[in-house]
Amino acid sequence: MANARSIKVIVSMIGLDSHTTGAEVVSTLLRDAGFEVVYLGVNQTPAMIVNAAVEEDADVIGISCHASNFALIEELMNLVAENELTDVPVVCGGNIPPNQIARLTAWGVAKIFPPGSSGDAIVEYLAANARRRDVAADRISPACRQRGAKQAGEGKL
Amino acid sequence: MKYTTDYGYEIKPVYGPRDVEGIEYDRDLGDPGSFPYTRGYHENGYRDRMWTRRMTAGLGSSRDANKVLKKYREMGQTGGMCVIHDRASSSCLDADHPLARRENGVLGWPGSSLLEFEELMEDIPLTGQSITLLGCCAPSSLRLAYVVALAEKRGIDPREVHGSVTESPFGNVFGQTDVQPFDLNMKLFLDAAEYVVRNKIRMRSGLVGQHFQESGGNNAQALAIELSMLKEICGRLVNERGLDFDDAVRVPYQLVSIGSRFFEEIAKVRALRRMWARMAKEHFGAKKERSCQLLIAVHTSGRTMTYQQPLNNVVRCGIQTLAGAMVGCTAVDNATMDNAYAEPSPLAARMSLNTQHIVAVETGVADVVDPLAGSYFVERLTNEVEAAAYRVLEEIDALGGLVAAIEKGRIEAMLKEEAHIKFREMNNKERLVVGVNHLVIPREEEMFEIPIQETEASDSEAIATRMADWKKTRDMAPIEASVQRLYADARKGDRFNLMPAIIDAVKVYGTAGEIIGVIRLARGLKYDRFDMIECPYALS
Repeated sequence: MANARSIKVIVSMIGLDSHTTGAEVVSTLLRDAGFEVVYLGVNQTPAMIVNAAVEEDADVIGISCHASNFALIEELMNLVAENELTDVPVVCGGNIPPNQIARLTAWGVAKIFPPGSSGDAIVEYLAANARRRDVAADRISPACRQRGAKQAGEGKL
Repeated sequence: MKYTTDYGYEIKPVYGPRDVEGIEYDRDLGDPGSFPYTRGYHENGYRDRMWTRRMTAGLGSSRDANKVLKKYREMGQTGGMCVIHDRASSSCLDADHPLARRENGVLGWPGSSLLEFEELMEDIPLTGQSITLLGCCAPSSLRLAYVVALAEKRGIDPREVHGSVTESPFGNVFGQTDVQPFDLNMKLFLDAAEYVVRNKIRMRSGLVGQHFQESGGNNAQALAIELSMLKEICGRLVNERGLDFDDAVRVPYQLVSIGSRFFEEIAKVRALRRMWARMAKEHFGAKKERSCQLLIAVHTSGRTMTYQQPLNNVVRCGIQTLAGAMVGCTAVDNATMDNAYAEPSPLAARMSLNTQHIVAVETGVADVVDPLAGSYFVERLTNEVEAAAYRVLEEIDALGGLVAAIEKGRIEAMLKEEAHIKFREMNNKERLVVGVNHLVIPREEEMFEIPIQETEASDSEAIATRMADWKKTRDMAPIEASVQRLYADARKGDRFNLMPAIIDAVKVYGTAGEIIGVIRLARGLKYDRFDMIECPYALS
């Protein structure tokens, strides 16, 4: 998929959840589709994920959720807004009950991929909705440096 | 559609006498109760003792979990209880740890102190039912200490309690991650196992093959992993802790996952019994027949419980329970129709427990031992999965055993590959799952909303606040004395058993975070795995 080549995706677990299979399968399928994937692994706090997104200059943030760590997603979305990363869509995949889908959407999560989502659906959505580098490039360089500065010293919760 | 098992054996349309040609009944099957125990351990099967029918509990506070356990007893769960830790206490983080605050009571019981265990067990007997506690390896030595401490408080000899509260260090390196280091987990596990054997406590330790399979591993790999775990653990108890094999073998039980591929699941468990019996006799030189009989409990597969049309999961659970019953296991804890959403709601729990009761009393499958023995297909499948498993086991042995294979990344690679194959097969519709990639309907046409149990951020915070407040009310002098002793003991080397010091610290209400933290310090690690909090004690 040619238009995926320049898209950089952060894939991360959040909090203490350690059900990694979904995140690893999705990382593999995105890499196979030509995305650049930075997989952060387990035990990531919202601040660590946002820091990584800034440092990596990511175009999408993908979070794996396994039931009930949604409060951490709210915290993540607040940090995304504080760091002016609102042009970087946050997507979540995993066991997310329907009533939570509404809450996550209200917090600004761009798209939810519940269990059973096809690989094609994930790839197509990200290819179409990731932050566009050509657009972002004009304003990203100075802003990004600023964000990096803002984040310094906030490495932990 | 694929006509192959998940480990790649091509299934034929029909089986006959030629498929079982090499089988010698006495050598390969034997009557129930006879070596190699392919057909089970009991001549009368379930007529002497029905399997333990239980549900895994744990969500919200300890008092919430206590209410659930009482409800399950009313639903006929009287043979044994099963509770799983929440994420924070699985990681040995106290509820007031900064990382725990938003995840306390999530998908489990926040069991990081004796107080929490006392609340969990209020008005629930410690004896007369099996006590099973699950959730990572590191906190499992604490769980053993809780049981010993509460038994003594209630005036019960701990040797009268039976069940399983400890867990091997392997369960959580397969697709899930344990935050404590593997060598620390292994040491604590061996300490607990040795303590149990030397003090004649009837507590087993879970070797959770289920985690491997639920993370994507196939049936043959699962068998190989299960046997290599047994080999590694029993080997260490004999060689490093000086126990007789026939005593060491009283420690492990195997928790296997059973999915919907009915005959393949049955073949897998039959093969496991035979492979273990041979390993016990040939590799370990078992002197007692009992040592060749591996205790096997079944968890019906949570992975197969779909998010879409959750009522379909009731049917899947029924099929899997039937397989678990027909294969002759000791206990079954069921997945539930809401498994893809949360911990079981009362409705889902009742459905799953009733599924077990229906299979036990209505179907007649519990009347006859190993009813599928002699089936051309099932015997051939048993041989096939065994042969495939031996090939994986040989590979693991060649790498130097399971610990070495894990260190070399082989097991992780195996799982990753399998998980990807499973995803691809679903994506390409080579394997069909109703409601997921076959006969899919829009959500709004599902016509039935199941109730969902959830914990809110405020529930997690309340558990954290209670822990922080309660900590200040404790009598600190005995806690300080006990952690000093623990710190001293923990510097005496890996073979020095820490269970007595852990039990002492638990009895005076030292917490999981404090106890594991002090042991970590003694081993040259940071008190807190996440380096966010400091040790509150001046240790010397």
